[in-house]
Amino acid sequence: MFRHLLKPIWRRKSRNLMLSLEILLTFLVVFAIVAAAGRCYQLYHLPTGFSYDNVWSVQLEQPNEEGSKDGGAIVEKFRRGLQDLPEVEQASLSSFSPYLSATWRSAVNLPDGGKQAETDMLDISDDFFATLDMSVEKGRVFSAADEGAAETAVVINRQLAETLFPGQDPVGKIISDGEPGSEARTMMKVTGVIEDFRNKGEFMSPTNFVLKRFSPVAENAMIRTVLLKVRPGTSRDFELKLSQQLKLIRNDWSYRISPLGDLRKSMLQETLTPLVVLSVIAGFLLLMVAFGLFGVLWQNTTRRIPEIGLRRATGATSADIYRQIIIEQLLLTSLAMAVGLILLVQLPITGVLGQNLDWPLFLGAAATAIGLMALVSVLCALYPAWQASRLSPTEALHYE
Amino acid sequence: MIRNYLLTAWKVYTRRKLFTAINLLCITLTLMVLLVVTALLQNELYPTGVEGKSDRYLQVGTVVSIGKGGNATRHSPLGYKLIEKYLKPMKTAQLVAAVTGPRTVSVYQGDRINEVQMRRADANYWKVLDFVLVDGRLPTVEDDTRGRFVAVINQSTARKLFPGIQAVGQPMNIGGQSFQVIGVVEDTMHLNSYSDIWTPISTDPSTEFRNQMWGDFSALLLARDASDLPAMKAEVAEIAKRVQFDDPKEWTTAIMWGDTKLDFFARGLLNNEQNADSGAAMFLTIVAVLMLFFMLLPALNLVNLNMGRIMERSSEIGVRKAFGASSSQLVVQFVIENILLCLFGGLLALLAAKGVLLWLEGSGLIPYLDVDINLAVFFIGLVLATVFGLLSGVIPAWKMSRLNPVQALKGAA
Repeated sequence: MFRHLLKPIWRRKSRNLMLSLEILLTFLVVFAIVAAAGRCYQLYHLPTGFSYDNVWSVQLEQPNEEGSKDGGAIVEKFRRGLQDLPEVEQASLSSFSPYLSATWRSAVNLPDGGKQAETDMLDISDDFFATLDMSVEKGRVFSAADEGAAETAVVINRQLAETLFPGQDPVGKIISDGEPGSEARTMMKVTGVIEDFRNKGEFMSPTNFVLKRFSPVAENAMIRTVLLKVRPGTSRDFELKLSQQLKLIRNDWSYRISPLGDLRKSMLQETLTPLVVLSVIAGFLLLMVAFGLFGVLWQNTTRRIPEIGLRRATGATSADIYRQIIIEQLLLTSLAMAVGLILLVQLPITGVLGQNLDWPLFLGAAATAIGLMALVSVLCALYPAWQASRLSPTEALHYE
Repeated sequence: MIRNYLLTAWKVYTRRKLFTAINLLCITLTLMVLLVVTALLQNELYPTGVEGKSDRYLQVGTVVSIGKGGNATRHSPLGYKLIEKYLKPMKTAQLVAAVTGPRTVSVYQGDRINEVQMRRADANYWKVLDFVLVDGRLPTVEDDTRGRFVAVINQSTARKLFPGIQAVGQPMNIGGQSFQVIGVVEDTMHLNSYSDIWTPISTDPSTEFRNQMWGDFSALLLARDASDLPAMKAEVAEIAKRVQFDDPKEWTTAIMWGDTKLDFFARGLLNNEQNADSGAAMFLTIVAVLMLFFMLLPALNLVNLNMGRIMERSSEIGVRKAFGASSSQLVVQFVIENILLCLFGGLLALLAAKGVLLWLEGSGLIPYLDVDINLAVFFIGLVLATVFGLLSGVIPAWKMSRLNPVQALKGAA
């Protein structure tokens, strides 16, 4: 039966080649969009590791970035000053605020240089965990008790723990941020492991993360943000009061105050807008291809009317004709998609996209794309097939 | 001859109206998307209106500082000291303006808080860019030197902050500082003019910025004439070699370039901050290749549609061939027909693109967008349509010309 159907397809191979090429390209485009959307969905449902409810961020803009010698003491003054406000439940410090596109990347090693891993880092104060409702999986968060220890206390995420200490308990282990022997390296002691911390929010790809303890007596601190947990129900008016309080602490600095919820909203928008634009363009492409496919199929069936007449005259029912045309189209689409799949399957096999395209996502996206393409091609074939099946044998044989 | 081609083309198009409609729809959709992109690019790279003098000024947006031994590099916007000490005395420039990037600030009015974008700019900024003043006045050198707390706002912000009353003369609290509104300008969305509020640079809470080599500033260098730009570029490169940092031991070399709009975007996107060549040619090539790539799928689509059409016309081709028409004549005829259809589709696409742009402006997706389809975009549209016509017409035409006249006359391809 299939051989039977493949024969007419093969006979018109040069025409079908162009058509298959078009279907192939469309398939690739559809796959890319479905996969991107699927990845976004996956990421959105991963835990970010913190809560942004009732948290405000104050970004400190020092007029002169250089030469802030006793930086630690200054920012600590900010934290204390803001903690005193009645609306503030908890104030804490960090290098930069969550939901901003800032990144601080660094390499960390085992002290003997055995293993190395690239990781995102953030300097935070002790009360950061309470401010953002974060909890540890293993060990404990650091606190004032870690002040003065030989190693800086850090909390790392599970992914980094599994990279550096596979199969071992990471709590209490030492890591460092420089090659063995380098003078300026800092030794860090893992006090706890968190599930994850994705500071850029819901659409950030999971990565290694080190949360490093900021010491208020440090000389040079990379602290640019105060995070405030405010009482539930605090309205936006609080910003004015907050800004006055900040000016009281340092009049010559400028401040950018925003609730984390607002930062999150603009971050989400920033991530989604390009995706939406691309999808709209791809939607146009698909629409066009659907029209084209429809036109081509119609032309094809019109040209084959004498053939259809002959089949009808020799006893084929209109349902047979219907089926023939739709199955032919599906075969052609499947052939093109098979080639497409062979190309696409290289992506998860070689792992070029890493975590961004794992097997479940690939299979899901491929299945969806195949379904969509099959649907479009069947829809495009329906009308021409219906027309062809309606022809009476006499009409069809007479057709010029 | 051409008249005959046109007549045949017309007859072919009207014979199967549905196919012609599908053909046209595909062409129009493709070209529309490309035209919208072109219009947006054109508007950004060669703007008219507020930044209409873009062909006469260069901008210096980034200074790359190289540390001792070349190990450390630092990319940063310019500090005010760098502009004041090194760029202001430039010989080839008529005016040198300093402006910060737009920063988010809060405006407090009683219990209302609005987040808006603010730039700090010096008086020259208002001379380099041609803002359209709606009400009040623009800041002057005097405002700068006396350190007056005055602010210019744009129309949308005026409506938002002071609904129903005249904005000029009103006081406003921006991030804890009190300003007085002295002017209202029209909204604009361009690289150097996009903002909601502008205040003089002397209103910065600290005077520290005057001693900084790195900061948040861009410099706009206005030439007397567009032909002076190359000389000005050379002078900027020359100046960069003379720049001395406060700590010459730590930072030894500065690199900066005077860039046109095109250079600026190309340099940023292609990471050419350290090379004299901004990669503008490369940037344009990439845009062109991407556009061609985008046309590929629709072109294939059109090829498929066109192939079907040829088969309908096989008897016509048979007659032409039997009477001695050569293959190349037939190819030319068919390609011309196709290009004509594409040009017509291009015209429709132009209208559709205008509609899309109007919708984009109205939707507020890109704030203050005001894009016009000008002659340049129209011309690019024509080129795009022709390229598309060629791309989608050549293969079917070639196939058609190869038809055997005997077979073709019989009507069987």
